[in-house]
Formats: sequence, C-alpha cells, structure tokens
Amino acid sequence: MEAFTRREVLAAAAGLGAQMPAREPLRLGLTPVFLDNDLLLLRGLQHYLEAQTGLPCRLIKRRSYQEITVLLLAGRLDAAWICGYPYVQFQDRLDLVAVPSWRGAPLYRSYLIVPADSPARGLEDLRGTIHAFSDPDSNSGYLVTTALLLRRGERPGSFFRHVFFTYGHRNVVRAVARRLADGGSVDGYVFEMLREREPDLARGCRVLRRSRRFGFPPIACRRGEAQRPAVRALARALFTMADDAGGREVLAMLGLDGFVPATPALYAAIAANARLLAETG
Amino acid sequence: MGRSWLRTIPLRVKVPLLVAALMVGVGTLASWLVLDALIRTQRAQVRELAAVALDGLAASIAPAVARRDVWETFDALDHLAARGEGLRVRTALVLLPEGMVLAASDPVRFPTLRPPPADWLVEPPLEPLRFDDARGLARAVRRLGGEDEPTAFLIAEVDTRGYLAERRRALLLLVVSNALLTLLLALGGYALVRRMLVPLDHLARAVESVRRGEEPDLQPARVGRAPEFLTLFRRFADMARAVRERELLLRRLAEEERLALLGRLARGMAHEINNPLAGMLTVVDTLRRHGDRPEVREQALAILERGLLGIRNLVRAALVDYRETVDDVPLEREALDDLQALIGHEVGKKRLRLVWANRLPPGPLPLPAGPVRQTVLNLLLNACRASPVEGRVELMARTEPGELHITIADEGPGLPPEGRALLHTPGEMPPGGTRGLGLWTAGRLWARLGGAIEIETPPEGGTAIHLRVALGRERCGDHGLLTTAHSAD
Repeated sequence: MEAFTRREVLAAAAGLGAQMPAREPLRLGLTPVFLDNDLLLLRGLQHYLEAQTGLPCRLIKRRSYQEITVLLLAGRLDAAWICGYPYVQFQDRLDLVAVPSWRGAPLYRSYLIVPADSPARGLEDLRGTIHAFSDPDSNSGYLVTTALLLRRGERPGSFFRHVFFTYGHRNVVRAVARRLADGGSVDGYVFEMLREREPDLARGCRVLRRSRRFGFPPIACRRGEAQRPAVRALARALFTMADDAGGREVLAMLGLDGFVPATPALYAAIAANARLLAETG
Repeated sequence: MGRSWLRTIPLRVKVPLLVAALMVGVGTLASWLVLDALIRTQRAQVRELAAVALDGLAASIAPAVARRDVWETFDALDHLAARGEGLRVRTALVLLPEGMVLAASDPVRFPTLRPPPADWLVEPPLEPLRFDDARGLARAVRRLGGEDEPTAFLIAEVDTRGYLAERRRALLLLVVSNALLTLLLALGGYALVRRMLVPLDHLARAVESVRRGEEPDLQPARVGRAPEFLTLFRRFADMARAVRERELLLRRLAEEERLALLGRLARGMAHEINNPLAGMLTVVDTLRRHGDRPEVREQALAILERGLLGIRNLVRAALVDYRETVDDVPLEREALDDLQALIGHEVGKKRLRLVWANRLPPGPLPLPAGPVRQTVLNLLLNACRASPVEGRVELMARTEPGELHITIADEGPGLPPEGRALLHTPGEMPPGGTRGLGLWTAGRLWARLGGAIEIETPPEGGTAIHLRVALGRERCGDHGLLTTAHSAD
C-alpha cells in the first residue's frame, strides 16, 4: 500500500483551486539489455530526461528482466526498457512507447558465440558442451537459441551438457572468453558494442552463428497508459533525442541512432518463437 | 697427520681462521633463527589473510553454490583471483562433494563439471592451509555447508612467491653481512695477532744475530709493554750476555792452550836438539884431538852429519807445520815420515815403541799434505798421551785403488765415548775447556777432506783409529785456520 507524500497532499489541496502541473517523478525501469554499470551513461540519460520532460527522473535497475517486468506490470514503473520476449509474453497488458534504432533500423540479431580458438563450425558441434545463456526472459540471450533447438527437435537441457544463466550479455561474453562455457547466446547489438568498447574481451570470442533480425528491445508501458502525460513526455523526449546535444551524447554512449515509434508487428517473429516454446515446453 | 699439519699453521693465520670459523658458526645459527622467525611470521600472515578472504567468500558464495550457480560462483572466484592486493590467489575453485568442479577462476585448467586433477581432491582430515614452498604456493581449503554434509569445498591456491622472494632477500642480506663481518673480524684478528707477535719476531731476529755471532738489538722498547714479553726478553738478554761471555772465555782459553802447546813443543824440540848437540860437541872435541886420524875423522864427521841431519829434519818439520801460510803442497810419503821427529819427544819421554809402517808409494798423492799431516799428528800425539810407559804406538799408511788408508793404534785404556763423538761429529764450536781440542780439530779437518773415521777398541785394550779418504778430492783451503789448534788429549 502506498502512502501519500506531503507533496502529493499539498498538490491535491492546491488542485482544488487552480490547475497545477503534477511533479510526480518519471520512473523508468532498465534491464541489463545494454551495457550495465555505466554510471556516466545513467547520469547522462537521467539529466537528459529530466531536462526534456521537466520531471524528476528515477532510473530503476534490476538484475533480471523478470524483476523489471513484474515492477512494470504492477504499476510501480511508468515505463521500462524491456526485452522483446517479455513484451510478447505480456503483449495484451503492455503498449509500446518507443524502439531504439540501431544502424538505421529498429532491428538486431542474436549471436551464438564460441571461444576464439574453438574448433566448432556449427550448432551441432556444440552438442554436449556447456552453454551460457543471458537471461531466461531474453530473446537474444535465450529464446532464439532455444527455438532453434526446438525446431530441430532438441531441447537445451538435453542438447547441451549443462546450461547456466549469467543475467547479463556482457557476462555471457566473459564466460565464453574465459572458457567457463563452450558457447553462449548473446545480444548481437551488445556484442558489437563490446567489440568497439572492450576489444580485449570481445577478441576472446568468435561468432559462430548470426540469427535473423528481430525487433529491438522496446520501451514499453502498461496498456492504456501511453497517453499519460509522463509517458507522453518520455516518448517525446526519446523521439527528439538526436536533436539535442545532451541527447546525442547519450545516444553516442549507447551506440544508437535514436528512438522511433513502433507497432507490435515488429515483434511477430519473437512472438512466434515464444509460442513455439510455450507449446513444446 | 691432519692434526700435526694443523699445528704447523702459524698463529697469525690460525687465529684469524679460528675467528672466521667461529663467526661462520655463529652467523649460520643466527641466520637460521632469523629465517625461522621470518617464516613463522610470514605463515601467520598468510593464514590470517586467507582466513579474512576465504571465510568471507565462503559465506557469500554458499547460496550460489547450493543452487549450483556456475556463473555466480565463477564471478566470485574470478574477483578473488583478480585482486591486486592482500592475499594473492593464483587459482580458486569450488569442488562439489561428488568430485566435480562447479567453477574455477581458471576454467581452462579446471573445466566446469569435470573432475579436477587428483591432487586437488579433498581428503580428510581437512587441512585448512598447507604450504608448498617448492612450488611457491599454499593451498587453503574451506568447507561450505554443514560439517556432516558439506555442499562443496572452496579451494584456493595462494601465491607465496613474494614471501619466498622476501625470504631469499633476507637470506642474501644475512649471508652478505655475515661474510663481511667475518672477513672484517678475520682481518682484525690477523692484524691484532700480527701486532701481538711483533716482540716474538724481534726476539727471533735477536736469536739469529746471536747465532751469527753478531751483537743483538736488545732494547726493551721494541717489545712493547706486555709483561710476559718483557720478562722473556729480559731473560733472553741475560742469556745472550752469558753466551757471549762464555765464548770470550773459550777464546781466551784456546789462546792460552795454544801458547802452552807452543811452549811444550819448543821444549820438546830444544830437548831433541840438545841431545845430539852434546854428542856432537863430544865429536868436535874428538876431532880437535884426533882429527888427524882419518878413520876417527870419518867416523866423527859421519856422526856430526847424522846429528845435523836430525836437527835439520826436526826444524823442517816444525817449519812445515808452523809457517804463517800453508802452501797446498801435495802429500808425499816423506811428509808423514817427518811426523816421527815431531812426536820424538813424546815417544822418548815414555820410552814408547813406535811401529812405523809407512807404505805410501813414492811421489806426490792427490791430497793436500797440510790437513792430512795435522790430523795424523794430532791423533799420534793423542795416542802417545794415552799409551802406558813402554807401550806400543803404531802407524800404518797405505793406498788402495782411489783411497788413502791410515791407521793409528795405541795400547791405552781405549777412547772414551766423548772422544769418539768429537771425532765423528765435531760441532761448529770447540768443546768446553781444553780437553778434546786435538780430537775435535782432527775430526773437523778429516770431515772437511771428506774422509771417514772408524774407531776400533778391541777387548784386549787399546784403540785403533782408521782414517779413510778418497784420493783426488778437491783441496780444502781453510784448514790453515786450525793449524794452531794442536792439542794432546
């Protein structure tokens, strides 16, 4: 149960007389979909959003996708940057706010990576090995590889000798580069970013297989809340990010072109994979 | 043998060596104690650091290990191994009870869910920390979960090479400082002993001076102030003074003896000359009275001639022995025969029977006449003195191929051992007193000629001295120095 704050009480009292703009903070959930632990990025994003929306902004981070998704569905967040897979799982309860555009399109791939010196030439060579997934609710870090195996009549638990989750795409790259795992499923966008930002780490891995393109992890809100002033302010701020110097700095740190509007059709392929997993799982 | 060799090492070397040996012993013991303390301290430090790092880690990863979470376990171990300070963990791994590695900081060496190398398996009793200095590491083990049913074991290999390097540095420092200290003390010991032995060196020089007959430097100031050396030096100075006085006394005695001998010889010669003189005067008187008779004249002249020849021989013999410089004339048979005239007085006085068997070949022999004559004369005089009244004194001389043999025999009581010693091994200095001077002189002269002396004392009494010397030896030039040292025993 939520208690009213002193400010809310005062605002309500004032609202009886004159219309005052609400100063509730904008709560944006973040997952490890992009490079985590980057304080500079978080601070830049927060400053940009606060400047553009005129609202105090709170960036909320959690270790797993599931935690953020639960917070979003529970109404504890105004919007969240989630993965495509949770989005399609709860599509009937969520609306799209914006989708990042990367290299000219709101699309990305899932990579199957192996250690740089691995003799593997295809997925079949990874049979009986140890595999690192990013997150059970990640499209690129779990669903894509799982669906690929399901279509071949395999299951991750039996195809691989052992699988484990690292709860972070960067951790998957670390696990594979250090040979803790013989292969890993990773976000193609994150891997490409690591190649630029942390070449020493990325050099320890080789891309064994690139998936087809999927809709980029979106920023979503609860269904019916897209028109709320805070969410609209957020959407506006995101769409105009490339027009602002501070926004361009944040985009440069993220390695993105900007944010664009999107329709649920963008996630049809992920939805198909999710259905396959739900049906066979 | 080793001990006697050790005893021959000079003090100035032995003392520094002993000091060095003692220092090496003390240094080794001290170094061992220091290193032992250092090792204990280092191990306690490692144990403490391991307790802090591993106990905390064990508690934090226990939930992840219980869920068999490979990534979280690896992440924690990797952070532990990557730490740059405190405990330096080379490798850390979590071992499941079934003998499989859940995760290791070095997955290449310890693949996940595979058994580790046999030496990494945990066997009871659990040893929390084991040091392996040969490999420069220590292995720490922690149990995760309950005592009875552990969920896993956390094993960490701690790098102890830094500690070993520190130990080596300490050892090097100890060795170098001990070596320097030892060297310094040994040098100091050498200098000190050398300084302490300076009086002894001075004493040795003084002894050498005394031996050479020179005046020794006996100033006490050179000895320092050590009472032991002062006493020793004072006593040596007293002794050296006594030796010098004794030598002077001996020299004076020898001179007196020489004069006495000269007087005796002169008396003997006067007697020898006086005897025929009386007869010759009688013959002169006869000539004066009956000189007109040819047979008397011839007989008187013959007696006169014999008497004069006898006197001439006596004088010539005396001249040969007592001229100032001795020509190294070769020995001839007649040179020995002349000696009969020189001992004539001794022989006549005791009415001795002189058996003279001089069988030397005519002509010169390759030997100097002087020392041979003097040796034989001294021994003959000695034999005359030793013989009883009317006793027999015998001389036999002959040559064998390359050798000269002369035997002097008497019927005396036999040569005593001191006399034998003087003949056989005459020292540099004459014997004390005047007794034995003749034998000592004969022994020295004969030894210088390179000859040998054999002494025979038959049971029936008497002495036979056999002289033997090789013919053709190089002449000895300094025998003239002793020409005045005649003496009868």
